[in-house]
Amino acid sequence: MTQPNKFDALIIGGGIAGEESALNLANMDYKVIIVEKDLSIGGKMIHLSKVFPTLDCGACITTPKVSETARHPNISIYTNSEIQDIEKLGENNFTATLLEKPRYVTEDCTGCQICEEKCPVIVEDQYQWNLVGRKAVYVPFSIANPRIAAIDIENCSLCGLCEKVCPANAIDFSQEEKRSNINVNSVIIATGYNLFDPLKIPRYGFGKFKNVVTAMQMERQLVPTRPYNNVLRPKDGKMPDNIAYVLCTGSRDETVGNPICSQVCCMYSIKQAQLLLGALPMADVTIYYLHIRAFGKGFCEFFQQAKGMDVEFIKGKVGLIKEKENGNLILRYEDIQKGKVLEAEHDLVVLSTGILPNTDYSSMFKNINIEQDDFSYVHQVDELCCPAKTSIDGVFVAGTSSGPMDIPDSILSAGAASSETAGYLKGGIR
Amino acid sequence: MKKTIDIIKQKRTVPPGVKEGVKMFNKLKKEIFKVLKEKEMTILEIANEINADVDSITFNLMTCLKFGTIEVGKLDDNDEYYYYKLKNR
Repeated sequence: MTQPNKFDALIIGGGIAGEESALNLANMDYKVIIVEKDLSIGGKMIHLSKVFPTLDCGACITTPKVSETARHPNISIYTNSEIQDIEKLGENNFTATLLEKPRYVTEDCTGCQICEEKCPVIVEDQYQWNLVGRKAVYVPFSIANPRIAAIDIENCSLCGLCEKVCPANAIDFSQEEKRSNINVNSVIIATGYNLFDPLKIPRYGFGKFKNVVTAMQMERQLVPTRPYNNVLRPKDGKMPDNIAYVLCTGSRDETVGNPICSQVCCMYSIKQAQLLLGALPMADVTIYYLHIRAFGKGFCEFFQQAKGMDVEFIKGKVGLIKEKENGNLILRYEDIQKGKVLEAEHDLVVLSTGILPNTDYSSMFKNINIEQDDFSYVHQVDELCCPAKTSIDGVFVAGTSSGPMDIPDSILSAGAASSETAGYLKGGIR
Repeated sequence: MKKTIDIIKQKRTVPPGVKEGVKMFNKLKKEIFKVLKEKEMTILEIANEINADVDSITFNLMTCLKFGTIEVGKLDDNDEYYYYKLKNR
């Protein structure tokens, strides 16, 4: 008989790397628990429009994987939950404290969203990167898994209307935080990455000038479940016709504490430029770059394809962004090829923000230290032979927890993590 | 049956910012609906009509669009701005 709190592998993070690792192990008949701090599994990939360089639909790739993970009999998923601490008791023997936060909605929720209609509160929708509002009771997004509502208690007006109108009686304000101990034989860290906060570069005007947006905000404008009815400027709803991308915002920049390349910004910007030319055929798109790093399979052809579509590439570092009265933006930049400091006017600026480590994992380990690399990612102790191996035997790393990488590399890394974990569980890798 | 809202009301109070936010959204929504009752308008026209920040009109109008109380009309003559109208006007 299986014990309810005992698992072969604990996977921290339910993004693409966590799901891939979980599915690989679960298909080998190991019992897996995924702990995800967000309200849904799927990570950041589930919010993407298309992937580069194939331009396949991101949601179409990730949703079947999300469903397969959620329905797998060997996988238990805890969303809106965190691992507070992990203690290693011996080989194949870890204990962890699981914190389940209250959602204030039970699993009886059918996702009908009647509560959302009635809720009087409007706050910024974090799943649309604050471009539009959401209610205090809300289904996170249309393809969320589990597709059940949650109550943002910090912003709830406590009017009780949601409870009154819920046809499934699924609202439960009596829920409280729950802590429990779980016993696991191995751990996979798949906590993913954080995006650079462009407020840290005030000269780019993000937050002050509404027509300066992040690439993730543009990504949301390019998906079918977009916040607006078309690609529009957040300031005044104008359809932009002259869009600029500022690459390396918060990466390859010692002054903001992130000297390394994020590996994905060049290609996702080129991808968005191509999609924009599809959505707004009359628009001009200019990409300001330091170097175009098109290193993967098909990446260079993808870059050439964008050039062929008349995307303009200017080798130059943008130093300052100013706003005009009509909401247009003046970019002051150094054109490296011409050797001049120039200015150009655009009506929308997209900051291609870099990737930063998510260091949530670092404080979890109680009686044993997990080593970090020079940039605060999980240190891979044997990168060539065992890329998922960390400084703790039995703890492995998958995806961007070990460094910036794109989606195919994350999936590959998750494959390595699951096979090394299986080896460890069978008494092999130490 | 006792509603569970009473349980949480004993533990929490509503932060003043939340009440303020609800009031402001309802006020702005009312004003947007009032001007759109007359005719279709672009975001800039609405902002001029009710003398409000254009970016807060965009945010709140798009929120109403998301919840289905506003719908999109045609593009203006310069193909720059959409007109918006009340649903079932």
